[in-house]
Amino acid sequence: MNHKKTNAGSVVLTFLSAMMAIIFLAPVIWAFFVSLQYEGKQIKSVASWFSPPYTFGNYLDLIIGSDVAKWLLNSVIVAILVTMLTLLFSAMAAYALSKIKFTGRNNLFLYFLLGLMVPGEATIVPLFITANSIHVIDTYAGLILPSVAASMNLVIMVTFFKGIPDSLIEAARIDGAGELMIFARIIMPLSKAVLSTISIFSFIGSWNNYLWPLLCTMDSNKFTLPVGIPIFAGTYTVDYVKPMTANMIASMPAIIIYLIFEKQIVQGITMSGVKG
Amino acid sequence: MIKSRKLRNMATGLGLCFPFFTLYTVFTIWPVIQGLYVSLHKWSLMGKVKYVGLDNYIKFLSDQKFVDALKHTVIFVTLSVPFLVVMAFILALFANRPVKIRRGLRIAYYLPSIISVSVASFIAKYMFAPYMGFVNGILHAIGFLESGTEIQWLIDTNHAWGVITVMTVWWTVGFSMLLYLSALQDIPPEIYEAAEIDGAAKWQQLLSIVLPLLKPATYLIVMLQVIASFKVFGQIQLITAGGPAGSTKPLIQYIYETGFTKNNMGYAAAMSYVLFAVLVVCTLIQRTIQKKGEQKDES
Repeated sequence: MNHKKTNAGSVVLTFLSAMMAIIFLAPVIWAFFVSLQYEGKQIKSVASWFSPPYTFGNYLDLIIGSDVAKWLLNSVIVAILVTMLTLLFSAMAAYALSKIKFTGRNNLFLYFLLGLMVPGEATIVPLFITANSIHVIDTYAGLILPSVAASMNLVIMVTFFKGIPDSLIEAARIDGAGELMIFARIIMPLSKAVLSTISIFSFIGSWNNYLWPLLCTMDSNKFTLPVGIPIFAGTYTVDYVKPMTANMIASMPAIIIYLIFEKQIVQGITMSGVKG
Repeated sequence: MIKSRKLRNMATGLGLCFPFFTLYTVFTIWPVIQGLYVSLHKWSLMGKVKYVGLDNYIKFLSDQKFVDALKHTVIFVTLSVPFLVVMAFILALFANRPVKIRRGLRIAYYLPSIISVSVASFIAKYMFAPYMGFVNGILHAIGFLESGTEIQWLIDTNHAWGVITVMTVWWTVGFSMLLYLSALQDIPPEIYEAAEIDGAAKWQQLLSIVLPLLKPATYLIVMLQVIASFKVFGQIQLITAGGPAGSTKPLIQYIYETGFTKNNMGYAAAMSYVLFAVLVVCTLIQRTIQKKGEQKDES
């Protein structure tokens, strides 16, 4: 009797959890179906959004005939460069801080830790003034460089590199390998897991970054998708189809990366959130 | 020989740190210092106008719009944090149950977090739009809303806060859910087994075992959410633009408008330090909690 009762409860809970999942996915699924509709379709009820006929024409229209393609390209360039520079510069510094003994090392690390306390949102005004004074507003450099040197990534890498046995490095040094060789041939290959986690987060972070690109770009040719899309959507007041297509174009890459690397993303969040 | 080795290490070490050091100094540390300097001046987008001492700091104390923006930010924090934390806990419990769809649940709950604020806000805005929106459509379909009537979600201040809060929970709860999930998975299964033997019902286990064990995780999540909610900007700017009539405008939006629309960077920088101070205090509290948790882990 008791057993049966828990079973019924368990079914209800499973049902509720699945309902919740559907509610969480519904807005994205809805946006996707809207993007497949022909423009100007009469919407009589909720079901009309989901009913055929479907078309991929909106995607083609936007990619060929609008600024969205330009912004897509900007977003891709910026996200890739941010990711590459973040990996390279953070790993170089982390290697020096964890494996090379030099005077001032500890103080330098403490200095880099200060960044954990600086909320970027609260320094956005002087950041703009700084960027303006070195003439990087409205340039790729301006979009990319401020997000490259993040203390959190450095701390994660330093912690990881410290775990690589010194004996490996000493052996290579005795064999006559230089520091760059050790960095490229020993440290980097051994750190694939942590490097790929940081890459995924840098890429998605840059892809979705809103406040800084909003301030840093004036020229619509330099917009990234998150900055351009609200402006693009603002030109459509009645029809949802084109704005929703733009939304889907902006989200697909992040969603695909997420679905492929979901396990790593989950691990990365748990690692940085709990242990960070 | 030893000395040359030392020198070489120093050169390599500093050389390797140099690119990170430069970008970090210019874009993270320097703006903090520069901001203090700017805040002591009347400063336009074109540059320095004149030194005004502490005027900018005295000004915001009597600026009703600043007080309102601060108030709206606090309203948002009090609305969103409890909702987010409770929701994160429930979703984590769901995603931690040994069912076949477990991984699917986790993927679904976290998926909105991967979307950019522009897209998430626009989807929310369209969802809650009258006449064509999804939410009113559903309310019509289930008969909750009579046909011919529409709820104007963004014209009423309370409704607008509701939309912003619901959107924020939907968009960001995944992160806290994952933190709770990992805390739940750290609870050794023997504890449940022992409770089962003692005849404790599931909900009793939840109240007397799980909740106390999740205390450190809860503190951490609450602090992280308070910090995140104080920084609210994008979704409010994109969904209500601070409206209706400025009644949802948060601090960052007011700073942004003062600096970039009204061209008063000095005053904007001064106000930024209020946000800065709040966030640094919250971060310090969060780090202290986290350290305590880790020390406990080790002992």
